[in-house]
Amino acid sequence: MTAASQHGGPDATSARAATLSGPSVRSVRSRLRSATARRVAFGYLLLAPAGLYVLLLVGAPFFFSLYLAVTDATVADPVANFVGLENFRAALESDVFWIALRNSIVFLLVAAIFKSLLGTTLAFLLLQEFPGKKLVRGLVVIPFTLPVTISVLNWKWMYDSQFSVINWALNAVGLIGGYGSPSWPIWLGQPELALGACIAVNVWRTFPFSAIVLLAGFTSVPPEILDAAKVDGCSFLQRFRHVVVPMIFPILMVGFLFDTVFTLSDLSVVYLLTGGGPANATKILPVLAYQVGIQAGALGRGAAIALFLVPLLLPMLYLMLRNIKRREY
Amino acid sequence: MTRDNERHDEAVSRRGFVRTAGLGVAGASIATMLDARQAPAQVRGTTLRILQWSHFIPAYDAWYDKFAKEWGDKNGVKVRVDHIPHLDIPARMAAEFAAGAGHDIIYNGSSILTRLYYKNLTDLTDVADAAAKKYGGWIPTARSLVEVEGRWFGLPIFYILAPMLYRKDLFEANNLKAPDTWELARVAARTLKPKGHPTGIALSQCADANLFWRSMFFSFGGTEAEASGDNPTLDSKELREFLRFAKAIFDEGMTPEVFSWDDASDNRYLASGIACWVHDAISAYRTTEDTNPGVFKNTFLALEPQGQPGKRVSVAAPNVWMVWKFSKNQQAAKEFLAYLIDNDLEGMTQSRGYNMPYLNDRYKKPMPVIGTDPKLQILQDFPKIVAFYGYPGPSTTPIQEIVNLFVFPDMVTKVARGMNIEEAIKWGAGEYRRIYAKHKRA
Repeated sequence: MTAASQHGGPDATSARAATLSGPSVRSVRSRLRSATARRVAFGYLLLAPAGLYVLLLVGAPFFFSLYLAVTDATVADPVANFVGLENFRAALESDVFWIALRNSIVFLLVAAIFKSLLGTTLAFLLLQEFPGKKLVRGLVVIPFTLPVTISVLNWKWMYDSQFSVINWALNAVGLIGGYGSPSWPIWLGQPELALGACIAVNVWRTFPFSAIVLLAGFTSVPPEILDAAKVDGCSFLQRFRHVVVPMIFPILMVGFLFDTVFTLSDLSVVYLLTGGGPANATKILPVLAYQVGIQAGALGRGAAIALFLVPLLLPMLYLMLRNIKRREY
Repeated sequence: MTRDNERHDEAVSRRGFVRTAGLGVAGASIATMLDARQAPAQVRGTTLRILQWSHFIPAYDAWYDKFAKEWGDKNGVKVRVDHIPHLDIPARMAAEFAAGAGHDIIYNGSSILTRLYYKNLTDLTDVADAAAKKYGGWIPTARSLVEVEGRWFGLPIFYILAPMLYRKDLFEANNLKAPDTWELARVAARTLKPKGHPTGIALSQCADANLFWRSMFFSFGGTEAEASGDNPTLDSKELREFLRFAKAIFDEGMTPEVFSWDDASDNRYLASGIACWVHDAISAYRTTEDTNPGVFKNTFLALEPQGQPGKRVSVAAPNVWMVWKFSKNQQAAKEFLAYLIDNDLEGMTQSRGYNMPYLNDRYKKPMPVIGTDPKLQILQDFPKIVAFYGYPGPSTTPIQEIVNLFVFPDMVTKVARGMNIEEAIKWGAGEYRRIYAKHKRA
C-alpha cells in the first residue's frame, strides 16, 4: 500500500470529487429550484442584516477581546506578541482578582433579588387605576433615564461621611446617634456597607427597567383569562403564579437576562462612588479590568480579567434560553 | 579740518550710521520676535488641538483658554482646547493612540504615562533644554517624570504641592507645637480628637491616599523602588516603622470616615471646622477661605513634616504635557509649549498659587501669590523636598500600575483596619513584586 493511498492520496481525492460533483451539485440545484428552498433562502436573506449586525457589533469586539487576552498588548503598543494563557494566570495569581470576582457575584445576586422584588411590586402598582397614573409611569423611569454620572454623584453626596442626608434623617428620628458617634454609619467607608451602598444605587437606577418590562408583560395577559381564574376561586398569588408567570415567561426571562448583563457589566456606579475601595471592598471585575487595562495600560491583562465575566454569564444565558425554548413547545 | 577730511568724516559717519541703524533695527526685530516668541511662518494657517484637564481652579481654565487663543491669533494658528476630567485622560489617550488621530498636545495629571507611550511621543528635548538654559535648569525631580533613554518625551509645566494645613488657634489653646514632625502631628491629633477635632488622611482609593501616605512613608526613610526604577524596594524596616506609626496615628487621631473619603473630603473636613489638621493641596486652604472665614483666619501652613530627623519628602501630583508623534502640527505644539513655559508664573497667579513651576529660576522670592501671602510663603521652600511616585526612581510603568491599583494605600488601610503588620507587608510587597514581574515578563 502506498503512502498516498493510505492517506486517501490524489487518486482517492479525485474519485471523491468526481462522485460529489455530479449528483450532489445537481441535487443542490434542484433543491434551490423548488419553492420551499427559495422561501428558505429568502428567509436567510432577510435574516442576514441582523446576523451581520450581531457579528459586527457583538462578535467582532468579543473576538478582538479574545485576541487581546492571549497577547501582551498594551495601550501604547500596536504590535502584540502571543503569550498564551499568561494573562489569565496573572489574573488568577492576584488577590485583588479573587476579591473582585467574589464581589461581582455578590453584587449580581443581591441586585437581582432586589430588582425582581421591587420591579414586580412596582409593575403591579402601576397596573392599578389611579389618578395621575400616566404621570407616575413617566416619573418612575427617571432614575433609569438620568445620566449615570449625575445620579451617582448625587448619591455620593447622600452617602457623604460628614454631610449624609440619610444619616441626618436617621438621626432626626432617633435611629442612630449624632455625627461622630459609633452608630453613625459611614456608608462608603465600612466594607459591608460600602458594597451594599453600591448595590442599592444600582438597584435604584435599574429596577424601573425591570418594572417596565414586567408591566409590558402583564398588560399582554388577556383580562378574560384572569377573570376566569378569579371565577375559579384563584387567589392573587395563585393567579400570578399559575396564570400570569407562565404566560409572560419569555418576557420575564428576556428582562432578567438584560438585567443580569447590565448589572454584571456596570462599571460606572462603583467607579464613581468608591473607585473600588476601601481596600478593594467594592471592587468588581469591570472596575479591575478598567484599572489594569486602560489606566495602567496593560490591555491584554485587562481583557483577560474582563473575559472572566463570560463564564459567569454563559451558564445563566444557556439556562434561560433553554427554558424559554422548552416553554415554546 | 580740511573740506576733504570733513567729507571723509561725513562719509564714514553716514556709512556708520546706516550700518549701525540697520543692525539696530534687525537686532530689535529679532529681540522683539524672541520676546514675543513669534512662531515660524510655516505654522500659520494650521490648527492646534490641545487636550487639557479641568483644573480645580476654574479661573485657571478660563485664563488658559484665552491664553491659548491669543497665542493662536498672534501666530495665525487656530487653537482648540478641550477640557475633560483628569481621571478620563488615560482612556482618551488609549483611544487617540489606537485611532492614530486626535489632539496634538495631550495633558497628563497624576498618572504620568510618558514611559508607556514614549515610542509614540514627540521628542521634546530641544524645548526642555532651551527652557533649562533660559530659567536656570529644572528642579531635580522633573527629569524622572519625562526622561526615557536620555530624551525628554514630555514637558513638566507644574506640580501640585501638599503641605500641612493646621488650626493654629486649636494648637495654641492646647499648648501644642506646630506639626513640624509627624510625631508632633500625631500628638496634636491625639490631643484634639477627644475634643471634637480629629484629623484625617484619605484611606480610600483616591489620589490623595496614594500621595499623602507615601509622603509620610518616604519621610520615614522608606523607598518604593531602586533609583534605576528596575526593582521594588518596599519591604524594609522603614516600612515597618512607618506602618506602626500609621496605625497609631489612625487609632489615636482619625475616624473611620477616612475610609470613604474622596479627594475633596479633607477640604470639607477643614472648612467645616472639624479637622485639627489636614495634609492636602492648597485647594483645602482656598475652600476654607471661600466658605468659612473664621476657620480660615486660624488656618496656617507648615512644611512637609519630618519623619526621621531632618527627613522631609513631599510627594506631589505632577502635571506634564506631551505631543503625539502622529501630530501633524508638532512644530506649532512645541512653540506653544515653549510659550506656556515662558508664562508659567502667570499660570501660577491665575491658579491662585496652585501651580508650582519646575524651573529653578522661578523660585526667586517672592513668588507670585504664595510669596505675597505670609501664610503661604513657606511653600516657596518645597522644591528641595518634592518627589513623585516611584521615589527615588522614575515614574515607571509598574509604578503606574501600582498607583492605579492603589496597592500602597490599601496596605495602609489593611493595617488601620487591624491586620497584622507583617501580613499586610506580605500582601503589599507581594503585589509590588507580582506587578514588577509581570512587566518584566512582558
